[in-house]
Amino acid sequence: MQPAEGTPSIRRRLLLLLLAPLSLLLGLGVFIDYLSGTSPIRTAYDRALREDALAIAAHLRDEDGNGRIDADLPPQAVAVLRADSVDSIYYAVRDADGTLVSGDGDLPTEPPRGDNPSFRDIQFRGEPIRIGSYATRVGNAAVTIAIAETTRKRVAATTRILTSIVLTDLLQLAGTLLLVWLGVRYGLRPLRDLGAQIRQRSARDLAPLDAPVPIEVQPLVNALNNLFDTVRAAAHSQQQFLANAAHQLRTPLTGIIAQLELLARDPAGAAIREQLLDLHQGSRRLAHTANQLLALARAEPTANTQDQFHELDLAALAGDGVADHLDRSLAEQIDLGADAQPARVFGSAWLLRELLANLIDNALSYTPAGGNVTVRCGRVGAGAFLEVEDDGPGIPADERARVRERFYRLPGSRGNGCGLGLAIVEEIARAHEAKLSIDDGPGGHGTRVRIEFARRV
Amino acid sequence: MRILVVEDDALVADAIRRGLAKAGYAVDHVGSAEQATSAMESESFDLAVVDIGLPGTDGLTLLQRMRRTGTALPVLILTARDALADRVSALDLGADDYLVKPFELPELIARCRALIRRSRSATNSDLVIGPLRLELGAHRVEVDGVAVNLTRREWAVLECLALNVGRVVAKERLVQAIASWDEEIGANAIEVYVSRLRTKLGGATPIRTVRGLGYRLDDAAS
Repeated sequence: MQPAEGTPSIRRRLLLLLLAPLSLLLGLGVFIDYLSGTSPIRTAYDRALREDALAIAAHLRDEDGNGRIDADLPPQAVAVLRADSVDSIYYAVRDADGTLVSGDGDLPTEPPRGDNPSFRDIQFRGEPIRIGSYATRVGNAAVTIAIAETTRKRVAATTRILTSIVLTDLLQLAGTLLLVWLGVRYGLRPLRDLGAQIRQRSARDLAPLDAPVPIEVQPLVNALNNLFDTVRAAAHSQQQFLANAAHQLRTPLTGIIAQLELLARDPAGAAIREQLLDLHQGSRRLAHTANQLLALARAEPTANTQDQFHELDLAALAGDGVADHLDRSLAEQIDLGADAQPARVFGSAWLLRELLANLIDNALSYTPAGGNVTVRCGRVGAGAFLEVEDDGPGIPADERARVRERFYRLPGSRGNGCGLGLAIVEEIARAHEAKLSIDDGPGGHGTRVRIEFARRV
Repeated sequence: MRILVVEDDALVADAIRRGLAKAGYAVDHVGSAEQATSAMESESFDLAVVDIGLPGTDGLTLLQRMRRTGTALPVLILTARDALADRVSALDLGADDYLVKPFELPELIARCRALIRRSRSATNSDLVIGPLRLELGAHRVEVDGVAVNLTRREWAVLECLALNVGRVVAKERLVQAIASWDEEIGANAIEVYVSRLRTKLGGATPIRTVRGLGYRLDDAAS
């Protein structure tokens, strides 16, 4: 049986409860590693920019003491300052009025905010740059030095670090998730084994579950075993009751039938022979019905007949069934025969004998004198079949479902029947997990009732 | 022929007693296993009809005790229970046949007759089935007192059928019965012997063909 959509699953629940927080935690770890890996890089490059700013400041002079700043920056010094194989370096020195003293006029120069120097990330000449502002005094004059570089080296270094950190972390994440998944799978294995053990059992098997299970599942198994015990006890007492009922019903019926038979044959009863024969017939019908009711009760699933199931020879069963009904078939001038091929099934001998007796009984009842009834068995596919075929008038197709109902009899039925025969057959077939089908007999005449067992032994 | 009926139900016991008496048997009836034991100690019987559901000691226990003391008396078990276990244990314990209630008197009488005949054929070499009389030791057959000449194979088939009178005998079993004389006998040959037997014995002792199974010698008196 496939679990329905949306059925609670411990595995899914465990995976969800473990994997979701773990993924979050590991994701957070990656983020923190990223931050702690990149901030030293930024600090180191910022410090280098600051050194450059201080170096520029060292070259500034307030020659006249009037606030006009001279930048004493020799071309070699500027070249050294700008020398970088990867990044472009920009700088600008402005006085208190914002007049450019030296450097790149288009570099935005703002007074530092907070720290001195303070750093920002902006766009310049179509490229992201890191820019530092440094405010200092040269003599009496205030100057602002802006020093900036493109971020290529920084990006390259960050990317390198990020790649190694994130790769490691992702591997760790994947490893953890895999371990959790495997752990949950392995941890839940006893539950799966228990499920398999229960699935493999026959529906009629009420023996206690005895596979070792973890203590967490033990209460469940105990409850199941208690339930099995209760059902087994109930089935046992039902069988006891049936045995007693059978005895209490059959013994007096035997006496009544035998006494009526003797009376009907006795010359003293000649005057009322008709009535005696009617009574005899009626008692026989009553006995038949009692037998059928008991058989039906025994065939029902609650009867728990599992311990009566053994390996059986269908051909021997078919032969016995024919032999048991031979006298009746001779009396009714019906040719009763068998076509029994070897086939063995797992079943209850008593129930299958009862099934076959009902089928043969029905066939003999519905077949006119001169007709044929054949009991067949054999192998079919992986299974086996047992069938009884007659060439009587047959069962109309629209009656075939109804004849399986309890106490239903075909209109115009004759014989001793009480309408339980096919209901018993169906119940017994079900107990053997076999399929019952009713079809036309040979050449479209008569009836063929077939029982197909899914597995043979 | 004397039959002991062990049955506690008065109505059933009375009917069995009267039915068997009408069929020509002397019948003693007791209602418990204890009474049955003492009856068997003082008298000798040809057959015991024993109900399983006796008060006190049940019929199976009685049967078990009889077999333990070495009594070879044929026993027909009556049971009102249909569980297979009861039948199997009855046969395992040494019952010769069983009959499930409710049964018909003629059926009971036929079974009794068959059991008595079988037990007598084991000690006595004569087998009488209706007009048929078989001298098992001498391989001689008479129909209504007139000797009939049979070949060895015909005799073997008839003997096998007669020892199982009223029961279906599979063709293969008849083949085996003949095979002790000749290894090369097919199932088809049996049909020939049966057909010859039918002609030689006349219609008084019908050998029925049971389609797909074999043959049955009818018990003409039943």
